[in-house]
Amino acid sequence: MFYRQSGIRHTDYVSDSKLFPIPADRNLLLLILLIALAAPFILAPFYVNSYILPWLIWTAAALGLNLVIGWAGQLHLGYAALMAVGAYTSVHAARFGIPWEGALLIGGALSAVIGSLFAFAALRVKGLYLALTTLALQFVMDWVLSHSPTITGGSHASLQAPTFRLLGQAITSDAGRYYVALGWCVLVTIFLLNLRRTGLGRALVAVREKDYAAAILGVNSFLYKIIAFATSAFIAGISGGILVVCYYFLVTPEQFTVAVSIQLLAMVIVGGLASIIGTYLGVGLILLAPGVVNRLFGALAGYFDLRFSPETFAHIPNAVYGALIIVFLIIEPMGLGKIYRNIRDYLLVWPFDQLKK
Amino acid sequence: MDFWYLAELTVNGALTGLLYALFAMGLVLIYKSSSVPNLAQGALTMVGAYAVLEMGRLLGAPLWLAIPLAAVAMFFLGLGIERVALRPLAGRPIIMILMMTLGLDIFLRGTTMAIFGGSSRPMGLGVTYDPLFVGPMLISRIHLIGALVSLAVFVVIVFFFRTRTGVRLRAISDDYMASWSVGISVERGVGLSWALASVSAVAASVIWGEIQGVDQSLSLLLLKGLTVAVLGGLDSVLGAVVAGIILGILESVGSNFLDPLVGGGSRDLIVAAVLVLTVLLRPHGLFGRHDIERI
Amino acid sequence: MMMDASAKTDPILSLNSVEVLYDQVILAIRGISLEVPRGGMVALLGSNGAGKSTTLKAISGLLKPERGKVSRGQITFDGQVIGENPPQARVSMGICHVIEGRRVFEHLTPDENLEAAAPPSMTRAQLNAEKERIYEYFPRLAERKSAESGYLSGGEQQMLAIGRGLMTQPRLLMLDEPSLGLAPFLVGEIFGIIQRINREQGLSVLLVEQNALAALDVVSHGYLIENGRIVMHDTAETMKANSDIQEFYLGGGEGRNFHDIKHYRRRKRWLS
Repeated sequence: MFYRQSGIRHTDYVSDSKLFPIPADRNLLLLILLIALAAPFILAPFYVNSYILPWLIWTAAALGLNLVIGWAGQLHLGYAALMAVGAYTSVHAARFGIPWEGALLIGGALSAVIGSLFAFAALRVKGLYLALTTLALQFVMDWVLSHSPTITGGSHASLQAPTFRLLGQAITSDAGRYYVALGWCVLVTIFLLNLRRTGLGRALVAVREKDYAAAILGVNSFLYKIIAFATSAFIAGISGGILVVCYYFLVTPEQFTVAVSIQLLAMVIVGGLASIIGTYLGVGLILLAPGVVNRLFGALAGYFDLRFSPETFAHIPNAVYGALIIVFLIIEPMGLGKIYRNIRDYLLVWPFDQLKK
Repeated sequence: MDFWYLAELTVNGALTGLLYALFAMGLVLIYKSSSVPNLAQGALTMVGAYAVLEMGRLLGAPLWLAIPLAAVAMFFLGLGIERVALRPLAGRPIIMILMMTLGLDIFLRGTTMAIFGGSSRPMGLGVTYDPLFVGPMLISRIHLIGALVSLAVFVVIVFFFRTRTGVRLRAISDDYMASWSVGISVERGVGLSWALASVSAVAASVIWGEIQGVDQSLSLLLLKGLTVAVLGGLDSVLGAVVAGIILGILESVGSNFLDPLVGGGSRDLIVAAVLVLTVLLRPHGLFGRHDIERI
Repeated sequence: MMMDASAKTDPILSLNSVEVLYDQVILAIRGISLEVPRGGMVALLGSNGAGKSTTLKAISGLLKPERGKVSRGQITFDGQVIGENPPQARVSMGICHVIEGRRVFEHLTPDENLEAAAPPSMTRAQLNAEKERIYEYFPRLAERKSAESGYLSGGEQQMLAIGRGLMTQPRLLMLDEPSLGLAPFLVGEIFGIIQRINREQGLSVLLVEQNALAALDVVSHGYLIENGRIVMHDTAETMKANSDIQEFYLGGGEGRNFHDIKHYRRRKRWLS
């Protein structure tokens, strides 16, 4: 219906391998981008600050994780640790007097270096064992952070981020922070959208499907695993820095614990492996749905005059979050991205869907 | 640092290690029967502890009756979890199965906490805190009892895997398709393994609940249990016991030396280090099966 | 062969225009009809991807894990229509499928492999007797019954896979490419044993093979499958003599070059 394909003829490879072979997709995306740009002006600041802003930053981070899990096929349960590296490094660098542009890049770079260390584990082991190694590295990182006051900022174990400045401009308004987050998220998205059109993307997919078969075909699986880990760690580092400077304003070890790693993994898997739109949807669902359900629950409890202890209320979002993971994995193990694709494919031929059979 | 102090550390470490093994055997049960790493075993243990307490509270059952009742309840919970959550994912990539067990972990913990609250409750086994004197060594009674329970569970599981049902479960974990082809009911076998692991979680939960109280921290046993299971080789019951003892001693003796150096809390670091080193140096653990890859 | 007379009367297995869909879109076999006579040995021949394995899976119920299903036609075993039974129900009816690529339980010993496949209702004494019977057919397995199966040689693994299948007390044994990757003399040995079991126990056998020459030596009838359709059905002797079969599957023929043969084959397919 919205996607009618008639009249679209790709007569050469260049046009066929365009970013959006179907114009409707591109138009839809432009529309969404316009809405996103206008968001600070049309939505109440509360929604922008506490929903859309974290959504964008977490999406950027989750896309980085999806790069290593979805495209390169390497399990990773220590992603939050890399975000912590980026966050702490950039905050320390900024406090040291390095401008924020440089500080974020340094954070990303150090993150990439440490992320490559994870890759060396990936060279030895695969699958479950890689997941366990990265999980253990996450625990090591948690431990290091909670035991080194020099990094985490002494007795209060929190570190204030200095005033955010980009290109000499202090960014103090809500809208300014929002645009920084939006810009970063769009940048990561464009990178990943283009990934599948490049040799790098194809090599990663080859390594994912069967690493020794890829090696026989001359794809250096060692190199590409490291590239995947380093790139995703770089994205993690910068996302961590931006998260701190735009959303948390101060950095503490609890922001990047193993639970956060698992949450990011949940976002990626519920969203769909190697699916960009899916990652957006997955992050939205995992990040926002528990809160929404909790409010709904509170409203219902108030309506029916039921009394729950505050402790019950405090733990319901967790239960809902777990239930969401379970339910979506049962319904569609390939994730929200697959559900979206099914609907889209259906609309592509609707109302002539009998043509497919 | 005299000899007896070291001996005391070693013995108590070994006993604690056997308790880790008690937990880890639940992981091994499921992995050995279906090749699923169950990251929800910690949450299951926690649920098991609350099940025991609730059986006592709701039915007024004394503890010796509440424990078997809870075991029966957990048996069916395990069956249910497999039926609802794991079966649709059979044959899917490992990452989705891992995610499912993580989701179960989060869900079970969240639900239990929402119902029972976060405050710690005593298990009420009534074991005295007075230590046992063996020569000049002090040994914790509950740890000793727990270690004996652990060894008993070990013997039961080893014999279970020798039975024909046990052999079928091991066959399932090797190859689902081949199991179907010779008429093994894969679904029922995997369900059984989850049910048994849930029952073994009750055993672990009673002992650990007595030691550290019944609250959310029971689910944190997962990392230690996982480390023990991996070090022993994920599918080896004997491995879990040996690795438990090794990790317990390493932890107890090692943290005694390291804690003054790093300012406390080095136990978790030792556990994480053992996990990383095991996976990198010897992924199949001490006694685990090698993956046989023929090209 | 001696089975020819009974073949007309009451087949143990018959497929009536069976169609299989994978993932609800991919039509893997399109209307296959075939029969296995009681106590007979029949071969299903064809090249890679022709639909041989799919046919066997449709009979044994192993399509489901691969998201396939029988979308049309019916399968009758011993007078009973097999509907949507799960694989274990079909095994207890007496259908056994020895799947492709050996797939023994690698971390179990051969002894345990056989034990795992025995029906739960079997007593310990029966089980031991059955194991002895299988070790008698495959003496090589008896020598290595306590080794880890993953380390057996390819031939031993194939014997174990067949032995494991026999443990389920089948009345129809379906073998999917037992000759895959084996040395010719081993293929001969294994086929010889299968033939012996067929003769001694009246076990019906459906043999799927690419190695047509070896297969046609032991069976009474053959079916040829191409692109999911049966394109030829005849006695083994006639098939062996057929020039097309010789050319495509037995490596004989007039020695036309490969290019010509490909065109020729394509044309044949269109005609069939």
